[in-house]
Amino acid sequence: MKIIVCYKWVPDEQDIKIAADLKVDMSMAKWKISEYDKNAIEEAALQAENNAAEVTCLTFGTSKAKQSLKDALSRGPEKAYWVNDAKAENTDGFVTANILAAAIKKVGIPDLIFFGEGSEDSYGQQVGPRVAALLDIPALTFVTKTAVKDDAITTTRSIGNCTEDVTASFPAVVCMLPEINKPRIPSLKQVLKASKKPVEEIKLADLGLSDAELTVKNKVKSIQGFVMNRKNKLYQDGSSAEKVKALVSDLAKEGLA
Amino acid sequence: MSDEEKFDAIIIGAGPAGCACAYILAREGKNVLVIERGDCPGSKNVTGGRLYTYALELVEPGLYKDAALERQVVREQIMMLSEKQGITIDYYNENLEENTSIPQSFTVLRAKFDQWFADKAEEQGAMIASGIRVDDLLMENDKIVGVKAGEDEMYADIVIAADGVNSLMGQKAGLKEEWNGHEVGVGIKEIIELPQDVINNRFAVGQGEGAARMILGQTGGIQGGGFIYTNKTSVSVGMVVSPAELAKQDKSVADIYQDFKMHPAIQKLISDGTTAEYSAHLVPENGWNSVPKKLYRDGFLMVGDAAGFCINTGTIIRGIDLAIVSGVAAAKAILKESEQPGIQYMKNLEELSLVPTMKLFAGWPQITSIPRMVQKYPDMINETMDFMFKVDGKVPPKMTGALKNIMKSHVSLFELISDGWRGFRAI
Repeated sequence: MKIIVCYKWVPDEQDIKIAADLKVDMSMAKWKISEYDKNAIEEAALQAENNAAEVTCLTFGTSKAKQSLKDALSRGPEKAYWVNDAKAENTDGFVTANILAAAIKKVGIPDLIFFGEGSEDSYGQQVGPRVAALLDIPALTFVTKTAVKDDAITTTRSIGNCTEDVTASFPAVVCMLPEINKPRIPSLKQVLKASKKPVEEIKLADLGLSDAELTVKNKVKSIQGFVMNRKNKLYQDGSSAEKVKALVSDLAKEGLA
Repeated sequence: MSDEEKFDAIIIGAGPAGCACAYILAREGKNVLVIERGDCPGSKNVTGGRLYTYALELVEPGLYKDAALERQVVREQIMMLSEKQGITIDYYNENLEENTSIPQSFTVLRAKFDQWFADKAEEQGAMIASGIRVDDLLMENDKIVGVKAGEDEMYADIVIAADGVNSLMGQKAGLKEEWNGHEVGVGIKEIIELPQDVINNRFAVGQGEGAARMILGQTGGIQGGGFIYTNKTSVSVGMVVSPAELAKQDKSVADIYQDFKMHPAIQKLISDGTTAEYSAHLVPENGWNSVPKKLYRDGFLMVGDAAGFCINTGTIIRGIDLAIVSGVAAAKAILKESEQPGIQYMKNLEELSLVPTMKLFAGWPQITSIPRMVQKYPDMINETMDFMFKVDGKVPPKMTGALKNIMKSHVSLFELISDGWRGFRAI
């Protein structure tokens, strides 16, 4: 069984600053593998350990995403593919999916393709299903559990307040929710092994994509922080019991109690 | 054990000491592993931030030119604060080394500098493994032969503890004891962002130039002091206070620091800034007298803060440069391939002037710990200033009498003599 797990290199949300004028400053941010994609990598690593799956990882990023390869490889995959292009600076689900699908075709469509449900920065939830559509294979989304048997994967999908078990035969795209597993903290030996694993850089030009396929559909004009306005209500009048009562009744009005 | 699990050297900690050591060893072809506990080098550091360039020159001449440095220090300042007043001694010197024109020192932000240094060591061929905690040392026949991290065991000819002020590895090796309260300070540091021009104006420095300021007084009467370093687009402000003295009173260190920051003479330097980081750390404060009696054993060396290398003269604090020098000393000892790298390491520390310098300043903590240094003397000098500059239309008191009165109101003659004697003996 072969698995390709895709991940995105994103700014660490802890380091993103929002100024008083709501401008978003990401210049000081360290970058990391999107947390939800770490779940996807972990799920692939578990398949490698339990079902002898052959796992590789794939990312589309700028030259800076090179830093992510060692981290990704220390989490289990045996090889990394990296589509290195400055276009990753300004991309959307449409372009990213075109690039990833083309890269997957180039290296050979595996049995399973894993994604996080959405990326930690834009959380568009587009790329996984789009890649499935481009490759004309099924997409299983909102997945909280996987089980592989013969040439098929059975997943539990968590949708609203119910779950759905869906089985798809290979090849298939699976997009996972964070509750599916707990990503490992790579051990010393895993980190050391990662630096010896192969990395293959793919040039965008080698993917044979047209200009239209590489032109974003979503044009981001600006990114702004948002402020949730507080009600700032003080309960000052009356006895403690009355104040509590007033608070509870207000919370009830908001549907919070 | 297989070959891939054995290194020539394992260095624990990717701070300046560890990176300097790794850089040289890797450059000379050694198979080096650096294990860093933080998610990336620099993430665990709190140092206020000043690097004396000579230390980097020992690693590789010219290396500083491409280093992640902030501003070249051209203003050395000492500030003494009373409640509302402050006197600043400001010494301007571009401090270029005579023959080479290399600037004497730069301010640094450790998150950037350590990352840069680790990248440089990696370029030389060292392997850096971040986000991993070393739990224990591996011993065989009383020799340290490797480290244990989680379930993983990794072997090396020599293990170098560059794991900072609390050096767990030094303790595991039986060389270092837990700190006593009087040996360390509690350091608080805040990075306050300000536009580059505003910093240039407030500190009267040009582009790329900066100031380093040590501050005495207004630490809540607690033994210690404050500092301000100018970075490119931020200032590092903070204080180091004695934990023992802190415990004797009610105010929290955060509150004391807040009051310190709100002093009118300090506040004007940092107003309208945005806090980017706020952190606290232990700082070795006791100089040579708190350096472990032995810094090595078979298969093991201690460098940097782990070895307690820090000098506080009251006018300057040195730690990063000593860390780098000790990393260089360790690397050179290992490269000599002698039977006893530990003894060679100590010899190198002597030759690179680190030990003699630390011994020279061994008595200094005696002076900085004079209780009157943090309140009475700063108050006295500010009142003296007030007298000298005061004009209110009345007849001023006679100079000699007034000055004597000011002195008497703060310290007794006996205290003055005893402090003077203590200072004299310490030097």
